[in-house]
Amino acid sequence: MASSCSQALRHHVCKSIFFLLLLLILFIFSEEIVIPKKKTWSKEAVLQALASTVKRDPTASDYRFQDDPYLTPKTSSEFKLFSLSQESGRNAAKYFINTYPKYFQKDYAQPHIPCLMPDTLEAQIEEVSEAALIERIGMRKVKAAVDLYDQLLQAGTSVSLDVTNQLLDLICFYGDHDPAQENVPEQRNEETEDVQDEPQAKKGRAAKASDLLKATWKEKNNAERIFALLSEPNKHSYSALIRGMVKYGAYSKAFSTYTDLLNSRLKADMHMFNALITAAPEVKEKYNEKWELIVDLLKQMAEQKVRPNLLTLNAVLKALRRCGTVGKSQAFPVISEMKALSIDLSLASYTHLLAIFYKPGAPIQGQTDILQEVMNEVSGKSFTPQDPDDAQFFITAMRICLDTKDMEQAYRVHELLGVGENWRLLGNDFQQNIYYARFFSLLCMMENIDVMLKWYRDLVPSVYYPSSNVMRDLLQALDTDNRLDLIPQIWKDIKQLGHANRQNLVEELLTLMAREKHNQEVQESFAECALDIKKIYDTGDRGKVLLNWTAGSLSDLISVLLAAHRRQDAWDMLKLFKTHNRVPSEELLNKFLMCVKEGGEVNQAVELVQISAGFCLPGTPKLIQRVQQEFELTEQKMLSDLEIQSFNSE
Amino acid sequence: MVFSADAITAPCAAGGSNALFCKNMATSLVRKTKLLSMVSSQLNSAACFRNIHCTAACLKNRAARIRVAKGDKPVTYEQAYHPHHIGHRKGWLSQHTSNLQGEDGAAERVVEDVFIRRFMYGTFHGCLADEVVIKRRGNLLLICAVMIQKLLPSKFYFLIGYTEELLSHFYKCPVKIEMQTVEEKVVYKYL
Repeated sequence: MASSCSQALRHHVCKSIFFLLLLLILFIFSEEIVIPKKKTWSKEAVLQALASTVKRDPTASDYRFQDDPYLTPKTSSEFKLFSLSQESGRNAAKYFINTYPKYFQKDYAQPHIPCLMPDTLEAQIEEVSEAALIERIGMRKVKAAVDLYDQLLQAGTSVSLDVTNQLLDLICFYGDHDPAQENVPEQRNEETEDVQDEPQAKKGRAAKASDLLKATWKEKNNAERIFALLSEPNKHSYSALIRGMVKYGAYSKAFSTYTDLLNSRLKADMHMFNALITAAPEVKEKYNEKWELIVDLLKQMAEQKVRPNLLTLNAVLKALRRCGTVGKSQAFPVISEMKALSIDLSLASYTHLLAIFYKPGAPIQGQTDILQEVMNEVSGKSFTPQDPDDAQFFITAMRICLDTKDMEQAYRVHELLGVGENWRLLGNDFQQNIYYARFFSLLCMMENIDVMLKWYRDLVPSVYYPSSNVMRDLLQALDTDNRLDLIPQIWKDIKQLGHANRQNLVEELLTLMAREKHNQEVQESFAECALDIKKIYDTGDRGKVLLNWTAGSLSDLISVLLAAHRRQDAWDMLKLFKTHNRVPSEELLNKFLMCVKEGGEVNQAVELVQISAGFCLPGTPKLIQRVQQEFELTEQKMLSDLEIQSFNSE
Repeated sequence: MVFSADAITAPCAAGGSNALFCKNMATSLVRKTKLLSMVSSQLNSAACFRNIHCTAACLKNRAARIRVAKGDKPVTYEQAYHPHHIGHRKGWLSQHTSNLQGEDGAAERVVEDVFIRRFMYGTFHGCLADEVVIKRRGNLLLICAVMIQKLLPSKFYFLIGYTEELLSHFYKCPVKIEMQTVEEKVVYKYL
């Protein structure tokens, strides 16, 4: 039977093979086999594939830091300190490399890596010539270039218009003073007269950057002088001048230069128009006038056949932010016109749009759908930085979500951050902090505690170091959801983040712990936490007092200790009332009395009464009555009691 | 017998009056080299294979070994085990591929390693808990160091940034430091 079965099987198999072969042959002869094109992979394809398998590690700190517990920053100030000290180490090394370049000339790398060679900071060409001028312009030495130009003119050699235009570009971009040199040690010289005097009492960090930003367009500066020397300025020269004026705040001058340009019958270019549109809201007061000026400029742009680009659109939208209600009505028409010219919107355009419709501090009037529409457009797309204001998108969007209490959109915004290269557009550390603070506040307000804690564990402290306000919001959220048993864990985090010296945070913590009665283990953990907090209140090292006791915080702490039946600790704490000049409340003493009754310590009860009398509390007689009723007192004690009673009644 | 040509040419360069003296010296030199070549050819014949040893003594029995002393000298794991334990109880301090068949550049790697070790010893002075381990992965030079928590973390980061930048520019390849800190030097035993 087996043989017959196997025979049948073999027959079956043969049949099926024959059938398959037939199919294959048919297939081959009926259609062409399409051999797919050879796929070319980029050189980093394997690395990218491997990288896509690894997600962010929520237990690790930022990639800049070493993976060691001693060297990981635990608070936001440590984060800043460590990253800045690493940067300053790099700057120190760059200083050495650029000061002694002869030791770093040997080139091992094939192919050549230009960024690892020492920078040439000194100008090579010494003689007074146009080539030397071009070199100095390339090295961004504004003052040296201007001096050389003057020397060239004095010597009589004419400088070509192109080079003069480049020089004008340089001056107008840097506002007629040298850019801050990063690696050269700061030289406080008196040449910076074109910078407004700002009070140096402010924090010294970024003093140079803020100097640059506050720099204004001086009256008779080099750019205007050189421009005046030009016999026939072309539109490039005008463009450089106008853009420099707008950048450094000389708006009306920019417009007058523009009129000069029109009078000399030259055409303007796109950058000039962008600059003028940016300057338009500054020169007019009323919303209508501002808008009319912008429309005027756009019409001229169309007449002169200059194509607008993304920056034009963004400039118009940014100007519309300052135009109130006109902005709201005109924003969408502008966008549709630009789309008709096939200009793709960038994140900055969306930022301005959101800012037009959601003014900070203004009451929300049924405009929630705009955020939703924007998110619909933007979700899933990866953006590249095209405009400096792109970095404002995420914080603006999150602010709006916080104001409108819209959790769903907030999640979408956060999701957008994970798409492609969008993480680059979150901005610097400061902006990142703002974004996450708003996100967390919203989470605390809207979501239940489990979701909140999931996000908390994911983001803190690897990405974000919460401020003390955010921790307070977190405590509120715990309170709302009745998860006060998590307070000791949160206290550990608060200590680690360095917020343990914030008076109101600690007091709020104590109040929350003392408010209600919980079960035994929770009370135990609260008591441990309370003793920990007590250590903070006591004098820190070097006798520095970090926190001051208040009556409320002392009472709360004692109530927590009493609830966990730590009578001895509570008794020690009671002494602190006297030392810190605070008055205990009646209910605290009543609670204490109840505890003492459980323990049955008569002496303590009498002492309690004495303390109460010492503070001249109004509830002392009642306390004395209770003691007399509930305790068995000896003669001595009754006498002392009567004494106190008589003392009080006086 | 090592003949240094400079010792002979120097008096020749002194002046023409020495020409005869030089000529005499030269002829004697020629005779001496002829003798030497005869001797060495005889030495290289089938009869004997011992060659002349011309270098300084290497003291292979005493390198990288800390001798057993009274018992109060703390010694780390790296120092406690001798070089013949490498590969058995110790790892390698420097990892690169130039010692493989067909690869070149071993000598340059050694020189780089020596420089890097001295650099680390000097820059992080007094902080190194153990020898620096140098790993090369493709173009990247990875310096792994264990430090004692002698400095503040911000100072460590300053030195890390400085070292990475300087060595990158010096060797024209990316240099990264991986640091681990310990409270104090980890003692393996006392010798």
